Amino acid sequence: MTAARFSTFELLLLQSRDQADSAALLLLAWVLTQQGPVGEAERAQLVSLTGAFRHGHALEPLLEIAASQDLGAIQLAAEVLQKELHGDTARAFLRLAVTLAAEHGEPTLANHHVLRFLADLLGVSPPEFAELYASQVGRALREPGDPSRQDYWQRREQRARDRRRETAGEEKRQQYTQEQADKRDRAETESPRATRTEARRQAREERAEAKRQRQQEKEQAKARQQAERDAEKRRQQARREAEKQRQRAEREQARRRREDERAQRRGGHREQRRDDESAHRAHERPAAPDPRIRSALTVLGLEPGASRGEIRKAYRRLAQAHHPDRFHQEGEAIVASASRRFQRIRRAYDFLMKVS
Amino acid sequence: MRDLYQRLHLSPDADEAALAKAIARCEHSALKADAATVLQADSRRAEYDALHDTLSDIGRLRARLGLTHAPYWRAGPADDFSLPPGPPGSRFEEWMQRLNLAARAHNRRPGRRGALIVLWLATLAGGAMLGRYLPPF
Repeated sequence: MTAARFSTFELLLLQSRDQADSAALLLLAWVLTQQGPVGEAERAQLVSLTGAFRHGHALEPLLEIAASQDLGAIQLAAEVLQKELHGDTARAFLRLAVTLAAEHGEPTLANHHVLRFLADLLGVSPPEFAELYASQVGRALREPGDPSRQDYWQRREQRARDRRRETAGEEKRQQYTQEQADKRDRAETESPRATRTEARRQAREERAEAKRQRQQEKEQAKARQQAERDAEKRRQQARREAEKQRQRAEREQARRRREDERAQRRGGHREQRRDDESAHRAHERPAAPDPRIRSALTVLGLEPGASRGEIRKAYRRLAQAHHPDRFHQEGEAIVASASRRFQRIRRAYDFLMKVS
Repeated sequence: MRDLYQRLHLSPDADEAALAKAIARCEHSALKADAATVLQADSRRAEYDALHDTLSDIGRLRARLGLTHAPYWRAGPADDFSLPPGPPGSRFEEWMQRLNLAARAHNRRPGRRGALIVLWLATLAGGAMLGRYLPPF
């Protein structure tokens, strides 16, 4: 036979008494492997969570598939879930995934993205998913950190240092009180002269300790100032870039508005005819031959073969929804991402206007 | 998250020399600082690479499942990790097709086995005849 052999997961699905449960189990195992190495405890947690599943086959092969990150199997499982789970069943599955990822603290960054993928897969909107997450683990769903940026690592390593210092400080304090108690005991039994030298030594040690602490604090303050200065510089740069992009977008819009007006002055009926023509043309060949046209149409949320009028309407709606100026209040990061989206939409529109 | 490798025009398994060269060549100062901080420390690079792999996998999955414009992706890593929506490659349908093929082959099998047996007998008989009529050496 020319076709490829059946994979382990396909055979498991054929054996399964409930394909949706098998697929859900594979995706949950995937979430589990993104959380860290899977030991006996994690396995037990997965088994206890999925006690009501009716797949009726062993768990081991699924864990192996998930550990090997077999994308083909994961895609098949995702398609099965997309077909089978709707509404409440989809939400129940997402609850299980959230529990696995976030029961013992913040999910890993990988799982932040996996959970969001699952939410998108099952058609659960972001506000709905945030609510589900909060009600399941009792914490708000946070934005995942961005390890491609310097400040993510600075913040994280600072936090680790703080924690280490805290525990070290705790130990030192305990040691210190212990020493004090010992000294007092000794002082009570030893001669007064010994007590005096002991006291001097102690005072010296305390002074040295205080000096060391002061130095440490000074160093910390210096590092913090440096970090703040860096962050400020980056923020300014981001602001400048956003401003530049916005100006470019505005110029572009103004140009388009002028063109539109000119076209309208030239006469509405001609445009009407052009729309009819392109609709007619689209009818003649319903599948766009060029994949670039198809992907540009997908960006505008249109089916292949959309008419010029439809494209323009979709572009206006999306450009309004994603215009960076609308997000002015919500911070630079959101403005920047909106302007990227806006540019993508505009590029798609320009391209479609050029080719159609 | 951004794809630093893509932005530096590198492949994710580039060695340290190539990385250092690309970072030195980079003209965007903020990107340069970020790339140097993240990729030139081994522990950070290992962690970054793990997440990079996961996000690339998710990007591939999203492209195959038509989820490249879903809300959670659009606002986040879509810029760097989205692939163009490729030809619709449904694993489920492909699986079903293969099952159909296998089922048809299964139904055809008795006939084909009969044909094989006839062929085998014919070769045997031919061999025996040759043995009898060829002169012995």
